[in-house]
Amino acid sequence: MVRHASPTKSPAIKAAAAVMLAVAVVGALWVPIYAHTLPKLGDFPFFYWYQLILVPVTAILCWISYLLLRTRPTRKARHAPQAAARGREGVRR
Amino acid sequence: MNHLDGVALAIVVGTFLIVTCIGFAAARWRPAEDPMHLNEWGLGGRGFGTFVSWFLLGGDIYTAYTFIAVPALVYAVGAAGFYALSYTIMVWPIVFVFGPRLWSVARARGYVSPGEFVRGRHGSQGLGLAVAATGILATMPYIALQLVGIEAVLTVLGIGGNSSNVFVRDLPLIVAFAVVSAYTYLAGLRAPALIAFVKDSLIYLTVIVAILVIPARLGGWGHIFGVASAHLSSVNPATGKPYGSLVVLPAGEWAYATLALGSALALFVYPHAATGLFAAKRRDVIRRNAALLPAYTLVLGLIALFGYMARAVPAVNEGVKAGHGNAQLSVPLLFSNMFPSWFAGIADAAIIIGALVPAAVMSIAAANLFTRTIYKELFRPYASPAEETRVARLASLLMKVGALGFALELNKTFSINLQLLGGIWILQTFPAVVIGLYTRWFHRAALILGWVAGMAFGTIEAYRTSGGGQAHFGAAASTVFGHTTYIAITALVVNLAVSAVLTVVFRWFGLRDGYDETRPSDYTADPVPAPAPPRKASPARKAEPATVPGTSAETEVTRSPA
Repeated sequence: MVRHASPTKSPAIKAAAAVMLAVAVVGALWVPIYAHTLPKLGDFPFFYWYQLILVPVTAILCWISYLLLRTRPTRKARHAPQAAARGREGVRR
Repeated sequence: MNHLDGVALAIVVGTFLIVTCIGFAAARWRPAEDPMHLNEWGLGGRGFGTFVSWFLLGGDIYTAYTFIAVPALVYAVGAAGFYALSYTIMVWPIVFVFGPRLWSVARARGYVSPGEFVRGRHGSQGLGLAVAATGILATMPYIALQLVGIEAVLTVLGIGGNSSNVFVRDLPLIVAFAVVSAYTYLAGLRAPALIAFVKDSLIYLTVIVAILVIPARLGGWGHIFGVASAHLSSVNPATGKPYGSLVVLPAGEWAYATLALGSALALFVYPHAATGLFAAKRRDVIRRNAALLPAYTLVLGLIALFGYMARAVPAVNEGVKAGHGNAQLSVPLLFSNMFPSWFAGIADAAIIIGALVPAAVMSIAAANLFTRTIYKELFRPYASPAEETRVARLASLLMKVGALGFALELNKTFSINLQLLGGIWILQTFPAVVIGLYTRWFHRAALILGWVAGMAFGTIEAYRTSGGGQAHFGAAASTVFGHTTYIAITALVVNLAVSAVLTVVFRWFGLRDGYDETRPSDYTADPVPAPAPPRKASPARKAEPATVPGTSAETEVTRSPA
């Protein structure tokens, strides 16, 4: 049984995810915005702390995009013809 | 050059033995009904959930490049070496976008390597062969880079490197590599997947301790950046210019950005990245990992800073000079000078295992490519799964021997060039693989000729660049229209231009295009657990149908409306 990534996501959600991922890429790619010494954070020049902070920011943007684009199992998949799976879902409800 | 450090060496050898046991035991991990199938040997049963995939992909993608080559570059030239951080930031959004489509089509069609996808998608055996050959060619120097990393650690430990006899000098390296080859041969992808747990634990431990201990011992970050800045702005007598800079200068920005972008795009089409992705159990595993794997990028950034720490330790600078200016010794020397012997041993072991895991995955990836796209296509179209697996096992051994040759022969001053050279080649498969995920606008013959143009241009251009005391293959960037640009990017542009123009020409003449065996629905398919091919259900499994363990059940539960 094959599920498919949901085609029902609205264009607005897809666009939001695309913008977030683009922000992460451009933030790393556009070197002139961070090739500076100042402002320093502690002893770290901007060049270093900007990139180090961009790492968790990228992770968060990817995670939000994942949540936005996540596909829920279709009805058919949820009632999988597997006894165990059905049992577990039943307990859950 | 270095005296033998008995305690550190004992810990390294001990860890290596433990890892060897794990490697051999991995053959029994998540046992398969039919171990002699390429899905099992080559992709670990295609059943890794988010957790295992995180370790496997992290262990596979963050290599000796991260632990040795990047800090060596930072040690030598400063900020320019940080492009690796930028690269490993942007690679995750890229994987997030392209990864799920590639995973889905591979799962739906049973592909184990990108070469098969290209053959099936474009209906072109020639293009599939081109992708497979490029993958194997580009992986070779990348494995060699792992060996160079191991060699650097062994040199600092005081074994190897002293004798003038090539065989004695490289013996420890050869022995270590032979052992890895043996358990990879036996257990396939399960071995590096299991060892990745050890590797990553040791790496995280080392990095956390180093970041807490070393700056304090060296007088703080202010001092570290101060020493680095003073060194980088001093004039290099060999070139008459400063060694580097603490922040990328405007003239270096273009090179920095293209190196980062080129490496990030290249990583996605490297066969070992595809192997790590294809081993995932579900489509969602890839997107989740794109959000979770930046943890390793943070580690890479901190390890890059080790280059500056090493610069602030006079004993390291002397050690590097004594090693004929081999900057790759800087991180192992930093460990031996800043840590007590026992912890230096743990840190050294982390680097060695950190190089062995990706070397194993890379050789498996190249073996998968060879078996399915070259051997089966050209010689044995009706090869049985068992025969495929036997061939892949042998191919993985051959890959390692080839890489050993690469590593022992080539100039190692800047091993990062090995990776960058591989990147130039592998990026030329980007149009066929990644653009092919979205469109078949390009004609198959145009893609082949574009690939030829990109490969030829990239190789010639790389051959012509000098640097690091080498007349040829000395650097990976060259000047285009006044901007220093990573050759991989320039060659990709040439490749795309040729492909596009020829596509228009071929379509004009009505040249026949290939048959696309994939269907649009394949690219979004998410087969619920059943891995391809379905395993024969044993009585034990029938009694408990949810044996496909862990994450699939968990995800189903978390996904159901609460």
